[in-house]
Amino acid sequence: MDRIGGGSAVVCAVATGVLASFWSVSPASAGSGRAEAREVRDAGEACSAPEMSVRAPMRVSPSVPIGAVRRDSDYYSIDLVPTRRVPATAYVRGTAEVTFSPSPFVVTVTPDGSYDYEVHVRLPELREPRGGGYVAWVTTTEIDEIHRLGQLQDGRVSGRVAWNKFLVVVTLEEDPMVATGRWTGPIAFRGMSRSGTMHTMAGHGPFQDEKCAAYGYQ
Amino acid sequence: MIVQSVPSIPLRLRVSAFATALAALLSMPGVLQAQHEMHGMSMEMEGGWRMAPMDMSMPMLPGLEGAMPVVGAFLPGMGMDISMFPEARPSRVVELADGDTLAVAVSMVRRTIAGHDMVMYGYNGQYPGPLIKAPQHATVMVRVTNEIQMPTTIHWHGLRLRNEFDGVPGVTQDPIERGESFLYELDVPDAGMFWYHPHVREDVQQDLGLFGNLMVLSPDPEFLGPANREEVLVLDDMLIDDAGLFPYGLESPTHALMGRFGNVLMVNGITDWSVDVRRGEVVRFYLTNVANTRTFNVTFGDAPVKIVASDVSRYEREQWVESVVIGPAERYIVDVRFPDAGEVAIANSVQNVNHFRGVFEPTVDTLGRVRVAEDAVAEDLRESFEHLRVHEEVVDDIDRFRPWFDREPDHSLVTTVRVRDLPLPIMQSMEMDTLYVPPMEWNDAMPMMNWLSSGEQVTWILRDTDTGLENEEIDWRFDVGDVVKVRVHNTPDSFHPMNHPFHIHGQRFLVLSTDGVPSENLVWKDTAIVPVGSTVDLLVEMSNPGTWMAHCHIAEHLHSGMMFSFTVED
Repeated sequence: MDRIGGGSAVVCAVATGVLASFWSVSPASAGSGRAEAREVRDAGEACSAPEMSVRAPMRVSPSVPIGAVRRDSDYYSIDLVPTRRVPATAYVRGTAEVTFSPSPFVVTVTPDGSYDYEVHVRLPELREPRGGGYVAWVTTTEIDEIHRLGQLQDGRVSGRVAWNKFLVVVTLEEDPMVATGRWTGPIAFRGMSRSGTMHTMAGHGPFQDEKCAAYGYQ
Repeated sequence: MIVQSVPSIPLRLRVSAFATALAALLSMPGVLQAQHEMHGMSMEMEGGWRMAPMDMSMPMLPGLEGAMPVVGAFLPGMGMDISMFPEARPSRVVELADGDTLAVAVSMVRRTIAGHDMVMYGYNGQYPGPLIKAPQHATVMVRVTNEIQMPTTIHWHGLRLRNEFDGVPGVTQDPIERGESFLYELDVPDAGMFWYHPHVREDVQQDLGLFGNLMVLSPDPEFLGPANREEVLVLDDMLIDDAGLFPYGLESPTHALMGRFGNVLMVNGITDWSVDVRRGEVVRFYLTNVANTRTFNVTFGDAPVKIVASDVSRYEREQWVESVVIGPAERYIVDVRFPDAGEVAIANSVQNVNHFRGVFEPTVDTLGRVRVAEDAVAEDLRESFEHLRVHEEVVDDIDRFRPWFDREPDHSLVTTVRVRDLPLPIMQSMEMDTLYVPPMEWNDAMPMMNWLSSGEQVTWILRDTDTGLENEEIDWRFDVGDVVKVRVHNTPDSFHPMNHPFHIHGQRFLVLSTDGVPSENLVWKDTAIVPVGSTVDLLVEMSNPGTWMAHCHIAEHLHSGMMFSFTVED
């Protein structure tokens, strides 16, 4: 049979805590909490880059009540880690659970084969800010595409994403009701999909020439 | 006799005189010699093996140079003149009425695939086997005569038939030895598309061409909506290298970790399936996945696709979909309208994982082509096609079971794997590989390691979480009429997690939810994918007495232990 595709789209993943702790040989292995915070700040700064493209928000009303989600394994859970850039969030922890978007199949994928997920952000300890509101977003690991999931209500919000690798960020927005294409406020929490741990020997070894410094690598 | 699906016999002990004789044959000089070099390895290997085909961009794992599976190599007809076998011919339709008997010979045939002549198996010399059509509620007979080298049976996948005709050797019947016959009496209570295949070394026999469809016709002419034509698509893949068909494991399967992915994709046994239609035609496709392990994501270009039915029933309601995710042994019926002239590729569109490079690789393989003529179809079915029907009979039927939907599971299973004596480089590398485990494996992401893992070294496990019993130790018992909720969790915390198409014989079930998320549009199934990390709740109607199998339908997982039986008493 003829093969139409097959080209690789190598991306340089932003290191997460899991990633940094595993890749002890990586330059990012200095991976302490501090290093993680620095990387996330880099990500936030990258978002204001003028060349970044922005797509329309995806569907923000999930079909699944957040309480219905039940994962017997936290393997695909995304730890939401505070960046300490927003007051009163330093010790707040949360998760973003992923489930397959409803479909006639157990496994939901898009026509190009990407997983089609619903992302359920949960930050139960998060207090309402004195001003503005918290908004959850998902973005590609290159941060060249961003979708707004929506404003958190009682520390929760859900939405849909059809990327195989993605970041979840929660920002503090002055006007959380404005459906902008990208965030303007500081990132309060961030996390990465489990697939982000596929940061491997080839991606930053002799086979690739990624500008890793742009993602916080030294 | 070689390895069979006999629960009471430990897999690793199932080696027969037949297997020994074949091993001796294959060890003869010159019987099989690889015709290519890869990664500096010699093209000649001992015991009839040659190196597994793999992506040349992937580096050879250090320490595995020259490694071979611990099991012997097997190919049908080795050492025999291929011209002595009859050339296989395409599938034919056989319409059976109530009480009719069909004779089916299981025989060796000659086929040419991807430019290679090879000896394969066939039902009545056909690829796929005959498309059997029978009216719903009929009883039809199939007399099976075995003419191949190894014992066989036929399992009638999805049929809620009498237990003694389920085709499981050692459970419902003795295997059909070479030269022997067995008469199957098939009750067909449910309308839809079913299929048949051996239950003896499926990884070999099914892969070599022993599969076919059984279409059960509803007496209701409105059972399915109107369509201009119907096409049966049997999806499959085969593993072929420069020398032809790649050998199978003799005593037990190779590729035990991930199953044997093929590198040549086929529809109805050919690599260039196509159909000519007129503009505006509504084509009903009956999809069946007979591959050993591959899950397909089938797309139809930009043509609108409406899903109508699956394994054992129609959906509660028709629904638009953009692609069809179909795991091994599953069936789906979809209606597709082709509004524009031109060519539409039916494709498998997936995101393969390249663990070495740490990326998802978009991959599209063309499965077939639909050539749409400029001429418009005479009977325009656009209006009916665009109407999404609600199948009230299905809704009413399922309504009877809703009281059970929210109760706690009656049984819980967890899937995992145990390995022993794998080469050290594999053990070490797998720790890296499993840094990220995708919910689904769409391709063989580690062909060398996968090939070197055999059923002798890998035990796939279904474990009852309440009792701790595993695989053949499990012995659930029910009464006819019981409605049983079974929770299946596919743990990611194992040596090599992988998705499993879970199949239950002789009964039907609903997939109630996945990870707590209720299914919005229910359909009766006999096989359902359990992705890695997910928990799937199944509601099983125990309507059919007998002792039945439940197992993973990845052939290599099944023959690496991933099965158990349960009994439904009258």
